[in-house]
Amino acid sequence: MSGYTEKMRDIAGRLLKECAVDMVIGFRKGTMPMMNEPCFVTKPEDVQSLVWDSNCGINLANYLANRKEKIAIFAKGCDSRNIVTHITENKIERDQLHIVGVPCTGMIDKRKITGMVAGEILEVSETENTIKVKTSDAETLLDKKDVLQQNCALCIHRNPVIHDEMVADPVQEQTDIDRYAEIHKIEEMETEDKWRFFDDLLSPCIRCYACRNACPLCYCPTCFVDESKPQWVGKGQDPIDVRTFHLLRAYHCAGRCTDCGACERACPVGINMRLLTRKLEKDCQEQFGWEAGLSPDQRPALDVYKANDPEAFIK
Amino acid sequence: MEYMGIERDRLHMSWVSSAEATKFIDVVTRVTEAVRALGPNQHFVKQKAKVA
Amino acid sequence: MAGKAASPSVNSFKAVKVNAMTLVTIDKKSWAAGLTTAADAYGLFGPVKEKDYHQFKALEKGEMPDLNMVNTRLSPKSLLFPQSEEMLEYSLDESREDHHIMKEVARDDSPRAIIGIRPCDAKATLLVKLNFDTPDVKDPYWLNAYEATTFIGMACDTPLSTCFCTTAGCGPYHEEGLDMLVMDQGEAYLAKILTEKGKAFADAAGWKAPSEDAAAFDAGKKAAEGRIVSSVKTDNLADTDLLELHAAPFWDDVAFACLNCGTCTFSCPTCWCFDIQDEVHGKAGVRMKNWDSCMFPIFTVHTTGHNPRDTKTQRVRQRFMHKLKYFVDKYDAGIMCVGCGRCVRQCPVNIDIRRVCELMNSFKPEDTCAVQG
Repeated sequence: MSGYTEKMRDIAGRLLKECAVDMVIGFRKGTMPMMNEPCFVTKPEDVQSLVWDSNCGINLANYLANRKEKIAIFAKGCDSRNIVTHITENKIERDQLHIVGVPCTGMIDKRKITGMVAGEILEVSETENTIKVKTSDAETLLDKKDVLQQNCALCIHRNPVIHDEMVADPVQEQTDIDRYAEIHKIEEMETEDKWRFFDDLLSPCIRCYACRNACPLCYCPTCFVDESKPQWVGKGQDPIDVRTFHLLRAYHCAGRCTDCGACERACPVGINMRLLTRKLEKDCQEQFGWEAGLSPDQRPALDVYKANDPEAFIK
Repeated sequence: MEYMGIERDRLHMSWVSSAEATKFIDVVTRVTEAVRALGPNQHFVKQKAKVA
Repeated sequence: MAGKAASPSVNSFKAVKVNAMTLVTIDKKSWAAGLTTAADAYGLFGPVKEKDYHQFKALEKGEMPDLNMVNTRLSPKSLLFPQSEEMLEYSLDESREDHHIMKEVARDDSPRAIIGIRPCDAKATLLVKLNFDTPDVKDPYWLNAYEATTFIGMACDTPLSTCFCTTAGCGPYHEEGLDMLVMDQGEAYLAKILTEKGKAFADAAGWKAPSEDAAAFDAGKKAAEGRIVSSVKTDNLADTDLLELHAAPFWDDVAFACLNCGTCTFSCPTCWCFDIQDEVHGKAGVRMKNWDSCMFPIFTVHTTGHNPRDTKTQRVRQRFMHKLKYFVDKYDAGIMCVGCGRCVRQCPVNIDIRRVCELMNSFKPEDTCAVQG
């Protein structure tokens, strides 16, 4: 993905100069290693702040819902699928968007990298296939493919599914990926073990809702956990309330989740809540042959009826 | 629910028309028996809120 | 407000300062043994590693705090101000004589000590105290816990690149808010007893070997402060007009990336906001206090349904204005931030308080003045 930054600045500058769009949504360089900050640019002279590298894991589609401007947006494979979902769900008009496709070779996992080196990481730089990590007393060279966010390592839609122009030629899609090995493992556990597994998984949760808020799918004006009339769920740290939040959040993403990984990336305490959303993704895939956000012309699995829909669960 | 650790037989889904009284009785009987066999639900029950 | 040494500082805490500074040296064996002994008289809390991160927890009998940490994920504010805390309980069972009467929940306010709290987190406690302990209103839940607590601080010899404590009103060897400050000398710990509370703890732990090595503290302090590479400027905040700053043009840009999650406020050692909730199960009810966050839309929703802070930009502005302007103006005790860097490291979208502070501190509302003039 080296060289994308320059190309993006050119594209953004051109679109703003031509007044083709009111704003460009992208990333600017972060103040921390392995972090970039989503930002918008409205003036051609400001496009120099835009950057692209392997630290753009936040899903930019999240910044589109209900906006009224004409917007250019940089979209990785997953972002583009969430843009499709937004269009299908009437959160934004296709005509409002100029989608600049970004063929993606994956985002790196800052938590994993932090765990692989001793001491505080002061600087991280990258080439096409390697990641160089600098601490105060050592430099470590890592293979990018070993330190990808897990959702990127399992990704089978690296290229945007919808775009008006592309930053670069499409990249090779990954094949022979077993997306659900971990999910199968959980499915095979005994009931009690499953309960305990999720108790343990969710125990660090502080209910900051970063997972929900980083998710482009979570745009309800009032989330069910925030409702007070009626109040569906307790607001404290009771594990049942915590679990209710995570379970229902996952359900609300059923058939919509693109496994962009923004939730897991955003979590300040490192919970892999994708173990819940991916189970629902797997069910949608297996039972309805459905993958979310591949085309704005398809209606989602959960809002169509087909005569051959599976119904074994109805007794 | 099953994936998360709730016993399979605790949750049932059925389609019963208002004209299907017999089916309704069947379903209720089956559900009651299945749940009774499992005993009281141990998980996903909140008593007094735990605080931390 | 580093420049304003004369301003009334936040030292109204009751922990009485000991007159002559007492230094004791504690070899590492006596450290462990002392903590074990002290545990008979005190509940001990300290940093322990759980899964990937360090957190402050109640220490089991014989469990030692892991002092090889830099910053815990969440601050130790939860030890005085738990994320969820029961305040009152009641019964709705009308066959009982005391039905519908709110009663205090039995609490454990027996002596406890936080071992290994960092100076920044200890200073933060005093900032929080400004809110929970005012001349007019006192929060008994927080105050009782505070009074019961002895703060045994661990000097911070390996600060992170995101630590900016020295320009946020404290520092790696800062003593405000601590009852004892401990520094690691390799073979042994050197402890400076700062208050009566600290002395009582040292006595309970049997740490009595005196030391004259005051220079070690000064050298350690100087070295540690030299390792702080990050800073903020706060000198103009007090003098900048509040409404001008409120109307500054940069807020939309600052707020754009924000997800409005609670990570910054929950990890912050100085954020003190809470929400009160009733939960009823059957006929038994509790009234509890839960952390709340100004980042959440419902934080300000009125019962009418109106929300005076309805947009993301308004909420983000509130957070930074509270920390860096309203607090500064109200208390004249510096900024409501101790420079621990937790929000900087943990924000999922890298909104950096140092950058925002710079924008605010360097803000010159010239254009607006010209229009008004």
